[in-house]
Amino acid sequence: MKSPAFSYYQAKDLADAINIKKSDDDAVILAGGQSLLPTLNMRLSSPSVLIDIGSINELKKIKVEDSYLIMGAMCSHSQIMNNKEVNEKFPILNKLLAQVAHPAIRNKGTHGGSIAYGDPAAELPAFAVLVNAEIILSGPDGERTVSAKEFYKGLFETAINSDEILTSVKYPINQNGMKLFFDEVTRRHGDYAMAGLVGSIKQNNKINEEINLVFFGTGDRPNEAPKTCEYLLKNEYNYSDIKDTLKNDIDFASDISSSSDMKAHLSAILVGRMMKELN
Amino acid sequence: MDDLNQNPKLGAADRPNSYIGRSVPRERAKKLLEGKGKYVDDILLPRMAHLSYVRSPFAHAKIKSINTENAKKYPGVLNVFTIDDIEKVCSPWQGVLGHLGEMRSPTQYPLAKDIVRWQGEPVAVVVANKRAVAEDASELVEIDYEDLDAQLDMETAMDKSTRVIHDDLGNNLFWTRTVNQGDVGEAFKQSHIVEEVTLDFARHTGVTLETRAIVADWDSSEEKMTVYHNGQAPHMMQSIIAKHLNLSEGLVRIISCDVGGSFGIKVHVYPDEMVTVAVSKLMKRPVKFVADRLESYSTDIHSRCHKILGKIGVNDKGKILAFEIDDLSGIGPFSVYPRTSAIETNQVLNLSAASYIIPNYKAKGTVVFQNKTPMCQYRAVGHPIAVAITEALVDKAANALGMDRYEFRKINLIPDNSYPTKTPSGVPLEDLSHEACIEKLEKMMNISQLEKYKKESLAKGKYKGFSIINMVEVTNPSPAFYGVGGAPISSQDGASIRLEGSGAVHISTSITEQGQGTEAVMQQIAADQLGVKIDTVRVTHGDTDATPYGGGTWASRGAGIGGEAVLKASRKLKENILNIAAVIMQSEVNNLDVQNDQVIRKDGGEGISLKDLAQIVYYRGHELPPGTNAELIATASFSIEGIPFVFTNSAMGCLVDVDVDTGLTKIEKFWAVEDCGTQINPKLVEEQIRGGVVQGIGGALYEECIYDEMGNLTNGNMADYLVPMAYEMPDIIVDHVTTNSGRSILGAKGAGEAGTGGAPGAIMNAINDALIPLNTEVTSQPITPEKVLKALGKI
Ligand SMILES: Cc1cc2nc3c(=O)[nH]c(=O)nc-3n(C[C@H](O)[C@H](O)[C@H](O)COP(=O)(O)OP(=O)(O)OC[C@H]3O[C@@H](n4cnc5c(N)ncnc54)[C@H](O)[C@@H]3O)c2cc1C
Repeated sequence: MKSPAFSYYQAKDLADAINIKKSDDDAVILAGGQSLLPTLNMRLSSPSVLIDIGSINELKKIKVEDSYLIMGAMCSHSQIMNNKEVNEKFPILNKLLAQVAHPAIRNKGTHGGSIAYGDPAAELPAFAVLVNAEIILSGPDGERTVSAKEFYKGLFETAINSDEILTSVKYPINQNGMKLFFDEVTRRHGDYAMAGLVGSIKQNNKINEEINLVFFGTGDRPNEAPKTCEYLLKNEYNYSDIKDTLKNDIDFASDISSSSDMKAHLSAILVGRMMKELN
Repeated sequence: MDDLNQNPKLGAADRPNSYIGRSVPRERAKKLLEGKGKYVDDILLPRMAHLSYVRSPFAHAKIKSINTENAKKYPGVLNVFTIDDIEKVCSPWQGVLGHLGEMRSPTQYPLAKDIVRWQGEPVAVVVANKRAVAEDASELVEIDYEDLDAQLDMETAMDKSTRVIHDDLGNNLFWTRTVNQGDVGEAFKQSHIVEEVTLDFARHTGVTLETRAIVADWDSSEEKMTVYHNGQAPHMMQSIIAKHLNLSEGLVRIISCDVGGSFGIKVHVYPDEMVTVAVSKLMKRPVKFVADRLESYSTDIHSRCHKILGKIGVNDKGKILAFEIDDLSGIGPFSVYPRTSAIETNQVLNLSAASYIIPNYKAKGTVVFQNKTPMCQYRAVGHPIAVAITEALVDKAANALGMDRYEFRKINLIPDNSYPTKTPSGVPLEDLSHEACIEKLEKMMNISQLEKYKKESLAKGKYKGFSIINMVEVTNPSPAFYGVGGAPISSQDGASIRLEGSGAVHISTSITEQGQGTEAVMQQIAADQLGVKIDTVRVTHGDTDATPYGGGTWASRGAGIGGEAVLKASRKLKENILNIAAVIMQSEVNNLDVQNDQVIRKDGGEGISLKDLAQIVYYRGHELPPGTNAELIATASFSIEGIPFVFTNSAMGCLVDVDVDTGLTKIEKFWAVEDCGTQINPKLVEEQIRGGVVQGIGGALYEECIYDEMGNLTNGNMADYLVPMAYEMPDIIVDHVTTNSGRSILGAKGAGEAGTGGAPGAIMNAINDALIPLNTEVTSQPITPEKVLKALGKI
């Protein structure tokens, strides 16, 4: 478990990082290293150079601007959990991040790393999809914005081009009166979930007007469930109907933690918990 | 707990330096906390090379060819070896013993020869200037394999159509044993109620914090092999390395420094470790091999992997009439050398129903080969299976009769006043206290309160359950365990103790330190028995050149056997000191004693410090009359005689919550009452129990080596192989009953394995208690959420 040899480069600023990345197809961005370094040690990949973006200060900022909460790519999970603005605007993020691994990993693991890596069982990508986050990518030709809903393409596959760096994630603060929900089922505290759900409900006079569900740990990327949302707008929660509808929405994929049946079951249970909590 | 009166045998406890029975803080803890522990990977020697093993990617395959040329050319590589080279300096072995009936296991070579038989078996070894370089070059070793059918499932091992792993043996059977006491057939006929259950236990492993590691350093000038090894039995390794490398045993030195956990994982002979020693001999230079985490999972011994059918017959008063088990276990392709892979099943046969009066008992064990990682003894060998099957059946019988589970146990437990007696399988038992333990447990748990809590929770739709279980634990083994069967494993341990010129006392012991506090315990015994301050005593261990000969650390034997040797040596040294002091002080020996590093006169008057006494002996011997036998060093040994093992017993219970939506089990509380005889350091005993329980929680709820249908281990990493962590640990409340062992002055039995042995049964019974209202049960460990939901018919 020693990684193959690689070079290490500490980028001075964003332009510097992009330059190196552009000049070398086998270069890889190093953020907190919590996902990347284990894969190197297991010899699952052998990059030529790791571009460390850890000393680029502009990537470490949390800002509120134009009704967006903007998270710099290099903000650590811990930094976000301890940020007053985040806790005011999105108290649910604190609850969610408390389920991401353990304190030591949260001190190193970054927001941008988690969004960019796109682990289908990770919490943050699902959250970004739920709240319509915008993902800012910088490349040799400048900056572009991709909506989180368009960002995840498949298993560990995202819209980032090989010469781009994710610089920040923008969360619209005004969630249109939506109430947010997060819950997940793990074997042990801090593990990736067997199944997890972030969801939102907008009500008018106690009538549900809009429902959104995004699941994680269930398929090859954050899974939306439009048919189930539609069902829930018209009907009361019913476990077996929801489980059936979810199976129409999502191609549940077994993994080492649980079978696809288990994932479908837990997803239906999570929807039940959400309807109970938010109604 | 500072109960100083618990060991009346050791005399008045209110004297100074009465350390036995006190939770004295351990010095070594500070060293480890400061990161100053010294582990094998910390050893750096001049010219040391690093090894990386090329391992089989197949569960079963023929090796058609091996080409090492490209790997040898890789910059930084010093050499690459296969069995053809290693065989010249290291002979093969066979994991069989002579005392347990016929064992059928073939010769095992240090590197695979012609055929690979498990995924992870070492095939070639790359030697390089750095481990990373050796790993790079490992990828360049070209091996051409021809895939063979793999025999993975233990249940099909004996089918006619199944691939036989060792052609010469004709089938896949390794070992079988039957025990038959009384007439179970007749007794079942006479039973009012007969209950049956089949349980299965997944393979799991030990997951030591520090992985296996070895540095071998062959000095051709002296013909001396020095081996730094993080094992548990240095003298066993000395003998085995000498034998298979054809070296003079006295010129093999094994040094075990700090060890980061072992749990039985590090007490076996591993092919990659033997090859490491062979490579040092071939290359005449020091070489290091440290297993990485992936290698740990696929090559450290696995354990458990049992399927057991049990049956109990009970009369209408609730008395057990008969008990029968039929156990099947799969052990990988070889029986592990030198302890063999029969012992776990043997323990299941010996220990099932061992807490109860069982007039008729029958047990059958069958052990078969598989193309998976070899399986052998791990903490609490066989106990979790024996306890779980026994206690599951006891609960079932009590429930079927409508009897309280606690009352049912009380009428069937072997009474505390009936020792010596025997287990249902015929193994001698003495000095146990099941009744006292379960009574104490009942009070601690407050069972009537728990019943109430259960009912109230159920009314709110919450499923809670609790359990109470009894068990015996095998500790302090005699030669009957291994030595009698021909293994070079000492059942005796030794201690040597000396007073130095500075007044310091130095012990050396053949017991090793695995992080469990051996040093602290030996220090306490010596200081207590000599009458010196604890800081005066230093301890050396884990070095075959510097310590007395002995067995090391396994089977919960360190304190009971090694501690007794320290006690005896300390008493001898004290006698010597007093005799010399009597001459110097011109006093009767009877009038003298040692307290706080001073020889004192019992009737008052001036004493002499041990330092002054030692300096007279060492520097100014001419001041002593001729013929004074001034020996400030003493040595003693101890082994258990007259009984195969010193059994201990415990009672345990736990309270669980089963979430019937998610299938998740939460252990709300765990209780244990154990009787390990004299507790030298109660805090260390309690931490052994707690740590043991946590490993038991692992087996019960989380741990499993998951193989795919090709025989690949699919979860050999710490993200996918789940061990319980801080969040998964409940409060574990520990209390004690003290029944000294009559086999020693110290009276200490072992305490290292009870938690691991008892917790799985306690947890399973508690879950099944919670599931009673839903009319279902779980029978397969680990009890995953998915298994719970399946039992509930939800998925
Ligand atoms: C034991 C353990 C448990 C964990 N449990 C969880 C969990 O429950 N939930 C969870 O969500 N996560 C979990 N994680 C992962 C953790 O959250 C990681 O920190 C995160 O996924 C990756 O962030 P990082 O900063 O460490 O990224 P790195 O490991 O440095 O990078 C990961 C990948 O993303 C790329 N990358 C990183 N930053 C950028 C960027 N700005 N632009 C472009 N590409 C980039 C890298 O090139 C690399 O390919 C766990 C990790 C561990 C070790």
